[in-house]
Amino acid sequence: MYGSQFDGGAAFSGGGFMPSQTTQAADPSFSSSKNREIQSLLPLTVKQIKEAFLLSDDKSNFTIDGVDVNNVTLVGMVCNRTGRITDVTFILDDGTGRIECNKWVQELVDSNEVEGILDGMYVRIHGHLKGFMGKRTLNVFSIRPITDFNEIASHFIDCIYVHLYNTRLRKLQGGVTTQQQMANSTSTPMKGSPAAPPHQFSGQYNVGQKNIEQMVLDFLQLPSSNADEKGVHCDVIARQLRVSMDKLMSSIQNLVEEGLIYSTTDDFHFKSTING
Amino acid sequence: MDTSRPTVFVNAELLPMYVGRKVRAVVQVTQSDGEIKTGKSTDELQLIIKGLPQVPLMTHVEVIGIAESEQSIHAETWTNFGNTFDTQSYNQVCQLANGEFKGLFL
Repeated sequence: MYGSQFDGGAAFSGGGFMPSQTTQAADPSFSSSKNREIQSLLPLTVKQIKEAFLLSDDKSNFTIDGVDVNNVTLVGMVCNRTGRITDVTFILDDGTGRIECNKWVQELVDSNEVEGILDGMYVRIHGHLKGFMGKRTLNVFSIRPITDFNEIASHFIDCIYVHLYNTRLRKLQGGVTTQQQMANSTSTPMKGSPAAPPHQFSGQYNVGQKNIEQMVLDFLQLPSSNADEKGVHCDVIARQLRVSMDKLMSSIQNLVEEGLIYSTTDDFHFKSTING
Repeated sequence: MDTSRPTVFVNAELLPMYVGRKVRAVVQVTQSDGEIKTGKSTDELQLIIKGLPQVPLMTHVEVIGIAESEQSIHAETWTNFGNTFDTQSYNQVCQLANGEFKGLFL
């Protein structure tokens, strides 16, 4: 693990970003998928899809429980299967509603996949949700018949679980965001801080929307923060942003590892790499 | 007879709430009396299913149809769920789908 004892001058002599732009992504704690641009797979019921919120009319940008909907997986029964040369369309009925599905058949592997699918069969589908003129359809990537029917109960339980996870994530972000709980080795003795820079950070303290990292970054990009060569002492940052030292230090560590800020004269003064 | 709305997940305990509506339930067929089959629901109570063709006893069958009374379902479609079906999990789904998470299902 690197970045804990950081010699800012030496590391940034070449300029540019740190090679660890790909941050340790495997963090189990709550981090919104919107921040990381991750496309996740959601298990859903047709009812959830019907009620998904459409962000803009021209693109298929759906959200469910505050999470972007891209790839979805469903379990249900096939109805009205119609096979044509280039594609197969059918209706998926999972007991909570019905949705039209389309699978393009271009290669042998595709036609083999759909050959055995008949009306009345329970299937597992992976696909992409599309909206057009208010109508929601599924573009199917993968379809396979269900052989163990416990998968049906398992899928619905999955839907419930993911729904709970995402709704709780939203509640948490409504309060104070818990940053990644990294074992932070930097001790934080509270020294008397130098003269506080003029208080120009008058933004709204809506912690729910901007997480702490973004707040620190914004603060350090202010002209006042960059006026001093030494940058800003972390005590000052903590006071201005009204966050606890623990949370602040772990945010600072993240920002340092991403190459957005660096420490200057000692481990407690920080400056933004992007000036103003 | 309501066939247009979503199919409700039911067990014997929930069935009385949806008389006249389209429901789905998994039963383990215990008795066969011509057209009328008696089965054990996922919550270990008895249900009567009408309109099922011959099914081997003791297999789990998912029945989708109209709830005719508080204890019987008239089957329209059915699927053989085999012998290795976990009734407890399905029963939990029924309870959750009609309780706390009704919004995801109905």
